[in-house]
Amino acid sequence: MRLFKWLPVAALLVPATLAHGQDDKPPGAVSYPQHVAAGTVTPPAATLSNPNAGDANAALQGEILFAAMNCDGCHGGGALGWAAPSLADGRWRFGGDDGAVFHSIFYGRPHGMPAYGGMLPASAVWLLVSYVKTRPVPRELPTVAW
Amino acid sequence: MSAARAVPASVHGPAGLCLALLGVAAAGADDGQWTLPGKDLAATRYSALDDINAGNVGALRSVWSFSTGVLGGHEGQPLVVNDTLYVVTPWPNVLYAFDLKSEDYPLRFRYRPDANPAAVGVACCDAVNRGASFAQGRIVYNLLDGRTVAIDATTGEELWKTTVADLARGETITMAPLAVGDRVLVGPSGGEFGIHGWFMGLDLATGAIAWRARNIGPDDALLARPGTFKAFYDRGKDLGLATWSGDTWQRGGAPVWGWLSYDPELDLVYYGTGNPGPYNADQRKGDNKWTSSILARHPGDGSLAWAYQITPADNWDYDATAENILVDLEIGGHERKVLVHFDKNGFAYTLDRRTGEVLVAEPYVHLNWAKRVDRKSGRPVLVEAKLTGKSRGPVKDICPSLEGGKSPASPAAFSPRTRLFYVPTLNLCMDWQSEDAAYIPGTPFVSATVPYHPDAGGYIGAFIAWDAATGRKVWEVREKFPVWSGGLATAGDVAFYGTLDGWFKAVDARDGKPLWKFKVGSGVVGAPISYRGPDGKQYIAVYSGIGGDWALIAGDVSVADPADVRPTNDFAPDLARYTSQGGMVWVFAL
Repeated sequence: MRLFKWLPVAALLVPATLAHGQDDKPPGAVSYPQHVAAGTVTPPAATLSNPNAGDANAALQGEILFAAMNCDGCHGGGALGWAAPSLADGRWRFGGDDGAVFHSIFYGRPHGMPAYGGMLPASAVWLLVSYVKTRPVPRELPTVAW
Repeated sequence: MSAARAVPASVHGPAGLCLALLGVAAAGADDGQWTLPGKDLAATRYSALDDINAGNVGALRSVWSFSTGVLGGHEGQPLVVNDTLYVVTPWPNVLYAFDLKSEDYPLRFRYRPDANPAAVGVACCDAVNRGASFAQGRIVYNLLDGRTVAIDATTGEELWKTTVADLARGETITMAPLAVGDRVLVGPSGGEFGIHGWFMGLDLATGAIAWRARNIGPDDALLARPGTFKAFYDRGKDLGLATWSGDTWQRGGAPVWGWLSYDPELDLVYYGTGNPGPYNADQRKGDNKWTSSILARHPGDGSLAWAYQITPADNWDYDATAENILVDLEIGGHERKVLVHFDKNGFAYTLDRRTGEVLVAEPYVHLNWAKRVDRKSGRPVLVEAKLTGKSRGPVKDICPSLEGGKSPASPAAFSPRTRLFYVPTLNLCMDWQSEDAAYIPGTPFVSATVPYHPDAGGYIGAFIAWDAATGRKVWEVREKFPVWSGGLATAGDVAFYGTLDGWFKAVDARDGKPLWKFKVGSGVVGAPISYRGPDGKQYIAVYSGIGGDWALIAGDVSVADPADVRPTNDFAPDLARYTSQGGMVWVFAL
């Protein structure tokens, strides 16, 4: 197997100072714009917003976490994909808005995405969301992709 | 000078012993089936059928094919038993049984296990499966999610299903189990996930776990008992513990994802263990026994007979999980019972399979991390500049790459007629930089950046013929892309292999002369087989379906395309112009 860049492990545990005013509690039900609502009626649910929206520093901290939590071991350096899908191609299996990505990391997903909610506080998961959501997406994409 | 004969497929009492004495003549007895992953217990991948021969193979044509509906890498091989063709797919690990007696080979049954999709994310290198074994009326194989199943070969009924591996600890199963007597032998994948490697014997009748032996740890966990365990080169107690710093052995790897073989006369099963984890050698100082090693155990109770560490303190991900092919060779004027192993590290080893003593160890591809294997100590003589570890910073141009001089996923074949081994090889080198790795159960435990590049010569793969008695390459056929299929040797003096760009090829086993080729639509990472059909004709079968380590570079556009956001396949940038994913079974005949 071929492996890609691991960033230096600057943080094995996330210091409390990383919190950005968000409660370290899992969110309740979330609505995903990508999902189809039966009868066109969207179930009542909250919309999660990223407390780090627009904070470039949050993406940088998220990049460090992306290596420290072994995300790049599967998703590849730069989140370009390896054993697990690319997070830098603009394609999102489970919804790509910030709340859906938060859910994917916090609760895990089928096909092996581990649930990190038991290891990371919500504030740290939001940093990861900031990182992957700020990966540049290319203009064109291959037909077969993750 | 060498003389060789194949070990008989099985020995059952006096009749079997006679077969052993008959030597080469015994190899002529072939029932036309293919019941075990490597054809026979010795894993020779040799078919004694000779209807298809070097003179007529040019007329070989495709007579049947079937899409498995799975895109993942189709490693391993089908089985043919009682006029039925059995195919195991990559995850979701469907078992197909095709009726060879009916026209068009319709399905007899299809078994769909409930393989846990979470396993896909815990498999390092594609959700592959390397095949099944047939024994006592049942097909036995492994599910990626860590279970071994036995299926009634006639009805498709599930007879038992046993959980043997723990996904939460990073364990999956990709290897083909071997059925020996009343045992089924199984080991895990997960060398990139910090597993604590093991090997297991199940009861063939019930699926109950008879014993489990660790590959690293204290002697009692290894089933290394005084009086029955004797390593040829190593002395001392608890070597699987003493050769590790601190408690690093507890997550030190040593998976068993390759092939098994068995000598009925010695009652020993042979297997190789994979790399130590993490890749950063600074985090696991010592030899790290028994990672990257060959182990011999008694299948009845699992007791360890001997162990030989191929690559001590493995700095390069040189898993020793390659097949161990059991043959008898004349070496230095004496007939020796040997085991032949083409290691990822670039050396081909001919060991005395009774003791683990190295008889021959010569490079079968270009390598530069070691000068030679010292016969006195059994250890490689290292090249200091090629050692890795975070403290050593970036290291350039290590050969071979961590894909190996040959991948263990692509097993070699042996012909008792030519006395040669037929070996798929790679001509790749690598750069290496380690970082610190944090152990989080269920996530990767690796920490290295390892880009590849082709070695000199203008080719990336080669199919070679090897004399294991002298350690000498006899001929080679060079290929533009990696040769990552298994090999097949036949009594017609034809050797078969496939290429990563999707050519299935036949060459003359005596001199490597190309005789025939056919484009199968996707890269070949499986291993060809040969069988006799109910119509009496000889057939050749193989999977196509690129994947395994190459899954990521196998899409439908060139990865040289700037729009492709996948990691750059800079060593073979145009591979995706020639092939794409898609699993199929192919059958050929004259």
